[in-house]
Amino acid sequence: MNPISRRRFLQVGGVSVAALGALPVPVFGQARRRVVVIGGGWGGATAAKYVRLTDPSIEVTLLEPNKEFVSCPFSNLVLAGVESLKNLTLNYSRLAKQGVRIRHQAATAIDADRKRVRVGNDALEYDRLIVSPGIDFQWDQVEGLEQAKDKVLHAWKAGPQTVQLAQQLAAMPDGGIVVMTVPPVAYRCPPGPYERASMIGWFLKTKKPKSKLIVLDANKDIVSKTGLFKAVFKDYEAHIDYRPSQKVEKIDVGAKEVTTETGDKVKYDVVNVIPPQRAGAIAVDADLVGGDKRWCEVDHVTYESVKQKSIHVIGDATIGLPVPKSGNVANAMGKICATAVVSSLNGKTPPEIAPGNTCYSWVSDKEAIAVVNAYKIENGKVVQIEQKLTPGKSTAVADNSLAWRTSIWNDILG
Amino acid sequence: MEKIQIVRLFAVFVLALTASPSAAGPLDSPGAQKALICSACHGFAGNAPGNHVPILAGMNANYFKKAIKDYAEGKRTSPEMEPYSKYVLQFGLDEIAEYFASQKKPVPFSVKIDPKKLSRGQTLATQCIACHGPKGDGENERVIPALRGQPRGFLEAQMALFGSDKRKLDDAGLEEAKKRIFKGLEGPDFEDLAAYYATLK
Repeated sequence: MNPISRRRFLQVGGVSVAALGALPVPVFGQARRRVVVIGGGWGGATAAKYVRLTDPSIEVTLLEPNKEFVSCPFSNLVLAGVESLKNLTLNYSRLAKQGVRIRHQAATAIDADRKRVRVGNDALEYDRLIVSPGIDFQWDQVEGLEQAKDKVLHAWKAGPQTVQLAQQLAAMPDGGIVVMTVPPVAYRCPPGPYERASMIGWFLKTKKPKSKLIVLDANKDIVSKTGLFKAVFKDYEAHIDYRPSQKVEKIDVGAKEVTTETGDKVKYDVVNVIPPQRAGAIAVDADLVGGDKRWCEVDHVTYESVKQKSIHVIGDATIGLPVPKSGNVANAMGKICATAVVSSLNGKTPPEIAPGNTCYSWVSDKEAIAVVNAYKIENGKVVQIEQKLTPGKSTAVADNSLAWRTSIWNDILG
Repeated sequence: MEKIQIVRLFAVFVLALTASPSAAGPLDSPGAQKALICSACHGFAGNAPGNHVPILAGMNANYFKKAIKDYAEGKRTSPEMEPYSKYVLQFGLDEIAEYFASQKKPVPFSVKIDPKKLSRGQTLATQCIACHGPKGDGENERVIPALRGQPRGFLEAQMALFGSDKRKLDDAGLEEAKKRIFKGLEGPDFEDLAAYYATLK
């Protein structure tokens, strides 16, 4: 029995059913309701867990090709040698204990009309689909990048590239030039490139004092925590050369040189190109993206796609909410979306819940800064209530960030 | 025999009609739904696993409400809690306070701590009993927070704020009493007190 006919069936019962319906009684003869989640990152894993927590009678399948969860937050610390990737790597075993069926396979296609997801030769049917595909790179936006993408590291999805970039930095002779490029907005983790620059700045200052980092930013100014990062860059002024409005247009790995939009040519010993981004490929293929062909527009309360019914999109792939593409926001969206999906599957109106954002950036081996945003729902739209920044960098904020990561990783995977 | 089967069938039919799948879910209350985003830092149902984040499960409702108002008004400064306190005020202070107050408090931390530190902490804690109670459970009526079972890092940080006068009490008499107590305390005392209360069973 599908949910629609079940609902019709219930309506036949009339008043007496409505009166009895409020009692918590065992579930018999109920149709199996299925939620499929694509992507086991900060948004998807959270959503899968919270659907099960909210209504254990719903069957949840999570599709995630990676066997382990690697946290992007804190991965910039690995580049500076102050954190190990091992400490940022978690497994999915506790999620399985919540009753989430995990398949370490990629979803290859979505059939919205027939409500099916293709996984290898299988087709998984769903009543609701939650897509949390993260980001993919637009290699073609930088000339020469597509061909060189195995050599030119992005390290913007934590994993092997994070370790490789750390090794390149460690192996660079003192006096070397590191070049990193910041993509135009919107991209995953707005303060991330500047945290990375700060951590590399700290690393060069303390370990390779004759070296220098050149930051080529496609944006007009530092995108996030601007004042705080400017103060940090000043602390590292002998080691960080920050250049705004310098979108990288070309890379030549033979000449070890990048060319910017203004025609400037910059030589490097180690390069880190953070490429321009869009929603994960499956969201583009399934026509969940808008006119920009990059990001997915969603309802601000339910996260249902504005383009496809019964498909919800969460996390970095979304656009239109006044929130950053952060792990904390993805986690909040996962919980809110799970509540909305469970409400809808039970014939209830989804509650209006707004996300929140707590975002820490480390700027040395011991200190961090933070920005925190609170939101409300107004006329069905997410609206910011307040944004607060830490007054400056401190070890206390760094301590709080470690408590935050313990809590939120547990909230996602525990 | 047939009659029994019919009765059984009827029972199944009624149960199928009355099935309310989400009624027993742990998140099926307005307070729980409004507190959903708090779990990123404060853990599921207020059971914070981090060392610097307070445990909200079982927190006295009156104290929770006061803390939220103090953060929102800037009486207590926290870049994290100032925005989120406004979120709580926006979405329903009473419901969220009641939700956390009704959650089961986790078993206090069982970490290995030097017994000497614990016994120093216990001795120092005699000064706290008058307000926070013999077991550090606080008192809802008097808007006094429980100390027992809170994370060490959090307790130490709060004591450091009280000790440096960055956190004050509303009542002038209590503020004087608190000042007198904190005048005699320093960093290592905070550590021992925190260790004692964090692990107090």
